[in-house]
Amino acid sequence: MFLTLQANDKRPLYQQITDGIKALIAGGNLSEGVALPSVRQVAGDLGVNLNTVAAAYRQLQDEGFVTVRHGAGAVIASRTSRPVDGAELYQPLRTALTQLVLSGLSGREIEETVRQELALLQQKGDAR
Amino acid sequence: MSAPTQFELIVFITTLVILALAYSLVFTWNWPLKNGPGFFLGVEVPAGFYEGPGRSWLKGYRAMLVALYLILAAFFGACFAFGRSDLAPLCGFWALLYTATILAFSAWTRHKLGRNPPVRPVAVALETRRLGDYISWPMEALMVVVIALCWWLELHHASHKEWLNMLTMTWLALGLLPGKILLARSSYPLPVDRTEEHYRYQDAMRRNSVRMWNSIAWFFVIVLAGVALRDTWTPARTVPGLRWLLLSVPLVVWAYVIVQAFRRMRLATTLGRDLLPPGSWTTPFRRAPWIGVGENCGLWGNRHYLIWFAIWFGGILAIILYSQFR
Repeated sequence: MFLTLQANDKRPLYQQITDGIKALIAGGNLSEGVALPSVRQVAGDLGVNLNTVAAAYRQLQDEGFVTVRHGAGAVIASRTSRPVDGAELYQPLRTALTQLVLSGLSGREIEETVRQELALLQQKGDAR
Repeated sequence: MSAPTQFELIVFITTLVILALAYSLVFTWNWPLKNGPGFFLGVEVPAGFYEGPGRSWLKGYRAMLVALYLILAAFFGACFAFGRSDLAPLCGFWALLYTATILAFSAWTRHKLGRNPPVRPVAVALETRRLGDYISWPMEALMVVVIALCWWLELHHASHKEWLNMLTMTWLALGLLPGKILLARSSYPLPVDRTEEHYRYQDAMRRNSVRMWNSIAWFFVIVLAGVALRDTWTPARTVPGLRWLLLSVPLVVWAYVIVQAFRRMRLATTLGRDLLPPGSWTTPFRRAPWIGVGENCGLWGNRHYLIWFAIWFGGILAIILYSQFR
C-alpha cells in the first residue's frame, strides 16, 4: 500500500498526506484495524519533519478515521468520518465545483468528470 | 597433523583475499552501467552519453579501479619479495583506501553529472517496518552473553591477560549494533512508477546488509572467543587439531561474510537492473540521497550514520594508537 505525493501539488504537505490516506480509506485500500506506519517511519521515508506527519495523523484522528494509542501506533478506526454539519462537508465540494465552472467546463462535462472520479475511487476499492 | 606456521597461514589467507578481490574486480568493472545506459553510477545521463563523454568517464572509472588493484598487488609483491609476509595483514588498510577513493569518485560524479537531479513525485509505503523485522534481539542478547563469558574467562582464568585485543574485538562487535539499527531504519524515496518493485528491492538490500553486518559482528565475537580460549585453556595452545579449529572457525565465518557481500552485489545487479537508482532523482521534500558505489541504502548521506561511523572507527583507532604508544 503506497501513498503517492505529487511534485507540483500546492497543498501543504500534511494536507497531502491526510488527503492521500483518506483517499486510500475511501477506496477500500485501508480497512478498519489496519495499522499505519509510525510517524518516524513516514517522516524518515519522505525526508520531512516529524511534526508534519504528526499533524496529518492528528487531523485524521480528529476526523475519526484513525485512533492513536500510545505504544500501538495509529490504526484505521473507521471508514466514515465523524458526523460533520452539511456546510463543512459540502464546502470543499462547492469550492471544487466553482473551480471547474471557472475553468470553462459545461455542466454536463462537470457531471461526467465527477462520475469518472467516483468510479475511479470505487474501482480502486474493488481492485483491492 | 602439525599446527600451521604463521607463514603458511598468511599465504593461505592472502590467496583467499586475492581470489575474492579478483572476483570483486570483475564484478565492479561494469558497475556504473548496472542501471542501464541511461545512468552512470546512479546518476541520470542524457541519451547517447556513452557514445560521447561517457566513454572517458567509464575509462576514468576503470583506470581508478586498475590503479587501486595495482597498489595492492605491489604491496603483496613487496611483502613476499622482501620476506616480510608478516606485513601482509596490513593490506586491510587498502580497504580504507579503496572505500575512500570510490566514495570520492562517486561524489565527483554526482558533482559533475548529477548536480540538478530531476524532481519526481514520490510514494511512501504504508507498511509498518519494525526493528525486530531486521534485527534478531535474542541473537543480540546471545552475542552479549558470549562476550561477557569471554571476558569472565580472560579476567579470572588467564595467566597472561590480553585485554587490549579483547577490548578491540568487543568494541568492533558491539559497536556494530547502532549501525545495524540505523541500517534497518534507512530508506530512500520510492518513485511512483513500479513502486512495489522498488520497495521490495529496497527491503531486500536492507535485509541483506543487516545479515552481512551480523556475520561481521559474529566474526569478531568468534575471534574474541578464540583469544579467551587460547589464553585460558592449555590444550588450545598445545594440541595442533584444536589450534587448527580455532583458526579455521573465524576463517569460515569470514568466508561467509565475503559470500554475503557478493550476494549483495549480485542482488543489486539482478533485482535493481531496470529500477530507478535512488540517487538519480529528487522529491519535492527531500534531496536525492548520495549513494556511493555498491551502497544502496543511502547511508553515507545520513548524518546519524556518519556520526556513528566516526565514533565506531575512532574508537578502533584510539585502541590501536593506545596499544602502540602506551
